[in-house]
Amino acid sequence: MKKKGFKKRIFPYLMVSPYLIHLFLFIVFPVIFSLVLTFHKWNIISSMEYVGFDNFIRLFQDRLFLKAIINTIIFLLVHIPLQIVVALVLAYLLNKKIMMRGFFRAAFFLPVVISGVVVTILWQQLFAYDSGLLNKILMDMGAGKVGWLTNKNMAMTSIALMATWKNVGLYVILFLIGLQTVPQMYYEAADVEGASSWQKFWHITLPSINPTIFMVTILSTIGGFSLFIEPYVMTGGGPLNSTLSAMLYIYKQAFEYYHMGYSATLGVFFAMIIMLVVVIQKYTIENEK
Amino acid sequence: MNSKFNFLMIFMLVILGSCTQNNSNRGNSLSYWSSSNNSEIEFSKILVKNWNLSHPNEKISYQPVPEGQSSEEIVLAAVVGKTTSDIYSNMWQGSVEFYAKANILIPLDTLDGFIEFLRLRCNEETILEVTSNDGHIYQIPWKINPIMTLYNNSIKDGLGIDEEPLSYNKFYEVAKQIKKDNNGDGYIDQWMGITSTKTVWYQRLFNFYPLYVAASDGMPLLADNKAAFNNEYAIQAFRFLQTIYKNDYFTKDQQAAGQDKFISQKVFSKFTGPWEIKYLDKFKPDNLNYNFTNIPVPENHKGPIYTYCDPKSIVIFNTCKNPQLAFEFIKTMVDNHGDSLFLALSQQLPRRKGIDTIVMYQEFFKNNPKLKVFAQQAKYIKGIDNCEVITEVLDIISQEYEACVLYNLKSPEKAIDDAEKAVNVLLRVKP
Repeated sequence: MKKKGFKKRIFPYLMVSPYLIHLFLFIVFPVIFSLVLTFHKWNIISSMEYVGFDNFIRLFQDRLFLKAIINTIIFLLVHIPLQIVVALVLAYLLNKKIMMRGFFRAAFFLPVVISGVVVTILWQQLFAYDSGLLNKILMDMGAGKVGWLTNKNMAMTSIALMATWKNVGLYVILFLIGLQTVPQMYYEAADVEGASSWQKFWHITLPSINPTIFMVTILSTIGGFSLFIEPYVMTGGGPLNSTLSAMLYIYKQAFEYYHMGYSATLGVFFAMIIMLVVVIQKYTIENEK
Repeated sequence: MNSKFNFLMIFMLVILGSCTQNNSNRGNSLSYWSSSNNSEIEFSKILVKNWNLSHPNEKISYQPVPEGQSSEEIVLAAVVGKTTSDIYSNMWQGSVEFYAKANILIPLDTLDGFIEFLRLRCNEETILEVTSNDGHIYQIPWKINPIMTLYNNSIKDGLGIDEEPLSYNKFYEVAKQIKKDNNGDGYIDQWMGITSTKTVWYQRLFNFYPLYVAASDGMPLLADNKAAFNNEYAIQAFRFLQTIYKNDYFTKDQQAAGQDKFISQKVFSKFTGPWEIKYLDKFKPDNLNYNFTNIPVPENHKGPIYTYCDPKSIVIFNTCKNPQLAFEFIKTMVDNHGDSLFLALSQQLPRRKGIDTIVMYQEFFKNNPKLKVFAQQAKYIKGIDNCEVITEVLDIISQEYEACVLYNLKSPEKAIDDAEKAVNVLLRVKP
């Protein structure tokens, strides 16, 4: 009897144990270990050396990390508004009864499921200065060549354009779901009042999909802060560190120079920045409501 | 309920049991990893098979380095997890010091017969180059791929390489003629050359560094734990490349497998290694003929021309229970027969003295005349400095390279000076 009771008590824990093991091994332990690392110097293969707050002092003197954060913010400033506007426009159009609607919905979603590295290599060819398709088109139109990835003032914008193309499909789907939840009777009432299409969009559609906009903004922000594959494959952080994102810099510190302690410090600090930005976004959007 | 519970318990035990460390390669049997290059796999399989036939009680188990983004990352992960093989045959010379400092590698000079063996294989210059800062030797120089100038034969007369070595001015002269706007749209579509414009540290090993080594007759980047590259040779190399980009003699496009500009004859030269021969012979059109010559040097350069040789070494990890036995196996990899087989299968050069004159290899070079140029170059080669932060040193140079050579924001003197200062700070603090 007692044995059965024990089994009954332990069984639920056994059922959730795979998740708990995963949670501990891949989330809880790495987070705690990273916090410990911030106070150490460690190159992975030698033993750790306690260095107190040295890594934090170095962080606040590291101009390249500051540049990497500014670059990431530039990326976000281009990428997020562009992504939201393009996704919303596309979702609005794909919500209407147009020809081949299913095909277009699938087509816009396709880049989301293609490997990031493949997309990046493809766009690298499109952006190539001397032989890229984009510059060929510009030249055929009589315009000059653009240093998409070779001009330090242009490179991050080019990456933001590519990232938007790659991810917009996901946000189109989210906006489509949002648009389909807007009650039809609002539009019917607006029609009776003689509202224009723009007025209906501005006064009915937009306020109704506010939660979706909030979610898309948060997801794009977190996704944008994680910018890594694109600059890693396309530019390596150049030209002149103009596409060096914070994540790429953290990666370089960890896996090119093996500064695990410093890299963990950068990671922890950067995670705090992301949390702060997301909290600010949350309160701003909620206050606007 | 009861059977479900028992099943779960067994399942958990199997999962946990599978997490134990693999210690199967201990004792008299050894494990060996090679690179995952097809020809090296073939070479290793033959050698291991022969060894196992003649040493039934001291068998070697072989596998190519496990799949990953790069073999360096896999080896590092294996070191951390203590799951390395006993022998690894594809370690970049620049990585050895990093592992040696952490006591991960066996000091090979402590093994019986090692020094005698090394003296037979390598000249004093090479032995000095692979000796670590602590005085021990942790690597067996195995193979090299010297970097040379590949050129389209149609520009051979202009380069004047039959009379004397290729110099900076000759390179400029030909580049000026090659640079063309073929379709009249106002933009250049034919260039003298191409080399990577990425700032990733290792790309400098294929443009700046060979030029520096060539100009300076193999001077090091570092000496006495300080930067030693702030000299006329590094400045000349930067200025040469800066002039090239300033005049659009090289395209800034990245090299891509889908559109090789040398094969499509849009560029007429590049700095590359012998691996290019196999590739070009497979993909080039019939009308493209090519050859290799030295890395360009300043006009006043005298004597033989050195180059960077992209050296890879064989190491024994300290997890090896029988390093002497591992060394005995390695000796079969790099004896005359081993090297001969390796050369034939991989078309990469073994790093041994007299590679171009040893009778045994003559037949091979007779049948592969393009590779003979590299064998002759092998007399004048340089690896890389023994420094555990060499990648950061190259990264600093890379940053300055970008500012000076690619974007013309600094003079070569200032760029090299800034790089020297940054490297000295790095070497002083070694984070």
